Amino acid sequence: MQLIGYSNEIWQKRFFWMSLVKADLRTRYRHSWLGIGWSLMHPLAMTGVFCIVFCKLFNADPVTFGPYVLAGLAFWNFLSGVTSDGCQCFFQGERFIRQQPAPLAIYPLRITLGMLIHLAMALAVLLVFVWVTQGFGNYRVLWSLLPTMVLLFAFGWSVTICMGMMNVVFQDTQHLIQIIIQALFYITPIFYPSKLLRDHNLGWIADYNPLARCIELIREPVLYARLPSMECVAIVSMTTFLLSVVAIVLLRRMEQRLIFYL
Amino acid sequence: MIRLQLENASLAFTVRRHKRLTLKEFLLRGMFRRSVNPYMTVNALQEINLQLCDGDRLGVIGHNGAGKSTLLKTIAGIYPLTQGRRTVNGRISSLFDIALGFEPDASGWDNIAYRGYLQGETPKTLAPKMQEIAEFSELGEFLDMPVRYYSSGMIVRLGFSIATSIEPEVLLVDEVLSAGDQSFQDKARERLAQMIDKASVVVIASHDLKRLPSLCDQVLWMDHGRIRQIGPADEVVAACLDESLQPQNKAA
Repeated sequence: MQLIGYSNEIWQKRFFWMSLVKADLRTRYRHSWLGIGWSLMHPLAMTGVFCIVFCKLFNADPVTFGPYVLAGLAFWNFLSGVTSDGCQCFFQGERFIRQQPAPLAIYPLRITLGMLIHLAMALAVLLVFVWVTQGFGNYRVLWSLLPTMVLLFAFGWSVTICMGMMNVVFQDTQHLIQIIIQALFYITPIFYPSKLLRDHNLGWIADYNPLARCIELIREPVLYARLPSMECVAIVSMTTFLLSVVAIVLLRRMEQRLIFYL
Repeated sequence: MIRLQLENASLAFTVRRHKRLTLKEFLLRGMFRRSVNPYMTVNALQEINLQLCDGDRLGVIGHNGAGKSTLLKTIAGIYPLTQGRRTVNGRISSLFDIALGFEPDASGWDNIAYRGYLQGETPKTLAPKMQEIAEFSELGEFLDMPVRYYSSGMIVRLGFSIATSIEPEVLLVDEVLSAGDQSFQDKARERLAQMIDKASVVVIASHDLKRLPSLCDQVLWMDHGRIRQIGPADEVVAACLDESLQPQNKAA
């Protein structure tokens, strides 16, 4: 099957994209004093700000509300990373695309893996914070974070491919997507409790929003010591599946022709 | 054994006359069915038939824009064919745009690795070659510096050293020796000659009509994306020189 051959080609180039992922992590913070710590500063600082304001407003306890917000922001940084950097992935890879034929999906892969590493670091901080402040009720459910990461990886890779392709054809995508992501930020329960939505008959925003469900995959085991619901897993898996179908179709159509758009 | 075959190969692509298509235009065009930004079709290659077997050395000549580079990039698989078939047996190494393809923020050493991996090396096969590539480039300590700070001559040195580090079966060369200082150019010529000796099939695009017959036994003359003439090197080069001496006859 074609898909297997394609995956095989990607695997054969693994040293190439792996070394680029490493380089991205290193050069991004090359001249900074805090280094890779900056990737954590953003969600931590934002969590601090949200806590100061909303703990008063919602009458919430910072010890539980802090990790709640941090889990949301960690995912959101991942999402905004794969969408905004994803838009640039083929332009960034142009110098290699013009040199040597290689499967195009490796350029989105490079972005996704970088973002996934940042996500993993944010999650590590979250885990340590929760462990220190309240401890875990159930250690075993934490293993569910592993399949969650795999799912989010597939989700992110598909999003990056779609964004990259769209942005190559319509350069307006990169600006449009920023507005969309900003809008989605407010209708996803990140810095307000999802209970608040239900109290105001807006529960459907939390229920049918796949992004909210992605965050739920993280919050359920870490904050509430239980496995994410089947419904939640199903919604995220379905979304990922649909996105990956779109990504594969786009790759099929554009793999050969992309070079004419660069 | 047939190494490389193009059968009735054509490449046409469309470009917008003004600029890239914007979303606004796409929507407007969709609504009013009238384009303000017409397509222009470029027939970069038309009905190319070519067959190269073991031991063949082919030179490609022609004016700027005649399709020499496009032909090489098509053989390399970077450009797709719109029609026809392309068959290649064997590992391809291409020497074109060697100054491109660097990560500006990474050091020279790192870039050797990236390009090596892209060419299909693994850490095991690359490790013994690293030192040799570094030596040939004569960049010394500069290799520890980000490529961003390199001069264009240094970049060409590095690119050439990496690209020529593998032993290809099919070698595609496009005017590589136009940059770098004199001493490096001489060295590069020598290395290229060695590679040409070793490779099974070589295709060289060049403007250097005098030197070409010494490197190739066959020459292909491209004109407006078509094969104008293909045959023994001396013959085709002579025909091409003939025409360029009498430009007034060309209008006919």
